Amino acid sequence: MHYIHQIPAYVLLGLTRGSMYALIALGYTLVYGVLQLLNFAHSEVFMSGAFGSYIVVHAVVGDGKGTPSWAVPLVIVIGLLSGAVTGASVAWTLERVAYRTLRRRGAPKLAFLISAIGASFFLSQLAGKLFNRFRGNGFPKYFDQNRQVLRISTARVQVFEVVIILTAVIMMIFLDRLVAQTKLGRSIRAVAEDAPTAALMGIDIDRTISRTFVIGGALAGAAGFLFGTAFSFSNTVGFDQGTKAFAAAVLGGIGNIRGAMMGGLLLGLVEALVPPIPHIGIQWTDVVAFVVLVMVLIFRPTGLLGERLGRAA
Amino acid sequence: MYKRSLARLGVLGLVGVLALTACSSKKKTGSGLTGGSSGSAASGATIKIGFEGPLSGDNAQLGINEVNAVQLAVDQANANNTYGFKVALVKSDDVGDPAKAPTAATALQQDPAILGVIGPSFSGATKAVGASYDAAGLVLISPSATNPTLTTLGFKSFHRVVPPDSLEGKEAGDYLAKKAKKVFVVDDLSDYGKGAADAVEAELKAKGVASERQGVDAKTTDYSVIAHQVQASGDDALFYGGYDTQAAQFAKALKAAGFTGLTMTGNGGKSSKFTEGAADAGDNWLFSCGCLDATVAPQAKDFSAAYNAAFKTDPSTYSPEAYDATNAMLTAIKAAGASPTRAKVFAAVNALDFKGITTEIKFEPSGEVSAQVINLYQQKAGKIGLLGDINTQS
Repeated sequence: MHYIHQIPAYVLLGLTRGSMYALIALGYTLVYGVLQLLNFAHSEVFMSGAFGSYIVVHAVVGDGKGTPSWAVPLVIVIGLLSGAVTGASVAWTLERVAYRTLRRRGAPKLAFLISAIGASFFLSQLAGKLFNRFRGNGFPKYFDQNRQVLRISTARVQVFEVVIILTAVIMMIFLDRLVAQTKLGRSIRAVAEDAPTAALMGIDIDRTISRTFVIGGALAGAAGFLFGTAFSFSNTVGFDQGTKAFAAAVLGGIGNIRGAMMGGLLLGLVEALVPPIPHIGIQWTDVVAFVVLVMVLIFRPTGLLGERLGRAA
Repeated sequence: MYKRSLARLGVLGLVGVLALTACSSKKKTGSGLTGGSSGSAASGATIKIGFEGPLSGDNAQLGINEVNAVQLAVDQANANNTYGFKVALVKSDDVGDPAKAPTAATALQQDPAILGVIGPSFSGATKAVGASYDAAGLVLISPSATNPTLTTLGFKSFHRVVPPDSLEGKEAGDYLAKKAKKVFVVDDLSDYGKGAADAVEAELKAKGVASERQGVDAKTTDYSVIAHQVQASGDDALFYGGYDTQAAQFAKALKAAGFTGLTMTGNGGKSSKFTEGAADAGDNWLFSCGCLDATVAPQAKDFSAAYNAAFKTDPSTYSPEAYDATNAMLTAIKAAGASPTRAKVFAAVNALDFKGITTEIKFEPSGEVSAQVINLYQQKAGKIGLLGDINTQS
């Protein structure tokens, strides 16, 4: 069938993919905002969320057979929460062990980067050692996630796609409000804007940074659950998704929360819409994604919405 | 102050765990290189043979299927003194990766006591090291490297006991041509996957069946876009050239996309990992494979039982082939006389005529085995079973 007819279907797939990119990208952008640090171990926080939620979901539903349908939303919420808790705790520990110690000693920026990459390898290999190195782990099938709920032209909207997009939207609105309106959000913005002054104004910088990691970790952990349920997960799943999400954060303007959401969605849409065009081909997916990134950066070097957490959010 | 020491403790702990993992992994590679449980030959001469294949990483399952069978053949030879000499096995892990294969190959080539090597398991790895085995004068019998070009690159050392993907692809293409009007062909951009897909596509073209082609990087986890494209194409069959884990993920995505046509993959996809990863989404998938299912073939019953007793699991894809390759190699070493050298073993392998459990092993000058049968398998209710010779299936 003709490509044009399939556009609604690809838009749907792109939104699903992009929602997960956006959730991970937020973690990169939040941490960059407060620390000007590229937290390369964030991809492994995402991976940990998948494993953590798998353990909990598996403990709750077993192999998934005979789970009553009324319990399914509950299991999904449990999965999301356990993913978020795992992600948050891994991110918190990561900040304590890999970054705070360096910060206390006033280490140069490069040391943070090396520490981040080291932590990333460590977490990925640790998961491989603790669990397995199989690339195709799947969650128990406790409901028919492919059941069609809605049909818009060629786009057959399935249950779990709705779950992914809804969850992402709710979490993003929640985060946006949190940063804009709460006391914690104000301190995050203050630290991002000017940390020494924020400290003089009585903001506990360490605590703010720690909480920023926890928020970013929770989002990525929840994304880990969504990704693992929709596709599959492994100890190496973080690298690819992490690289893409980081690109999404840069695309939107790193340090900018709304930018990360937009960047993630845009990247997902581009990856789903462009490669299936006749004569392009799926094998060019990554190329297409990074060409778009480069093009955006040529015309807007600070990303779509510009850098800086403090100002834009 | 308290907080600071807590953080220090954390760092110390991290360093400690890192050091521990480093130690244990070192130990593992150490025993892998010097290993072989049968190294302690009490009397008579000890002959060493090597194994090169993936023992870790994503593709380790295939290597483990093979190395277990090689180990079994070696242990049996030692226990029964079948060949009149003791055999020690040296395992070398190449992760199935062309970039890591040269190191793994060098480790075997530099041990002068090694007279022959079973492997490499993977086509890409074989391409990377074929010339260096030639230079070392060390003969290879691979149980599973099926890329067609391997026997045309001039590697004198390379022999294989399985048919090339070109034959498998041709017969798989014939089968698809009987079943479908239009076929969607996808590969994983690897040497093996592209080779298999090319062969299928060429045969479909020769039979006048329409096809279209896409490639998806093997690192992909999200197959939803390509799966939708396959579904939207309206084609009534799909062939995937690639390995088990990826085929499983693709199978899941195809089910989600609602593709109901015939689905087929080659020997690289046929393994327990496919079944494990795809679960019910893998049901009805077909597999073409120049390999033998040891759990059903009557002549492999003894092997299957011994394998199960030794490793507490059934032999899987390429286990019987690796077992045959090992016994063929040992037969050749025996035929090379009382004081075998690499050169004598090399000549003996070329002159070999050995009746194994999978097929009669007799090499053509190119290094291909003369007897070549392609079987068709299918997953039903979560288990891959043999349907029979692909040529007789309709």
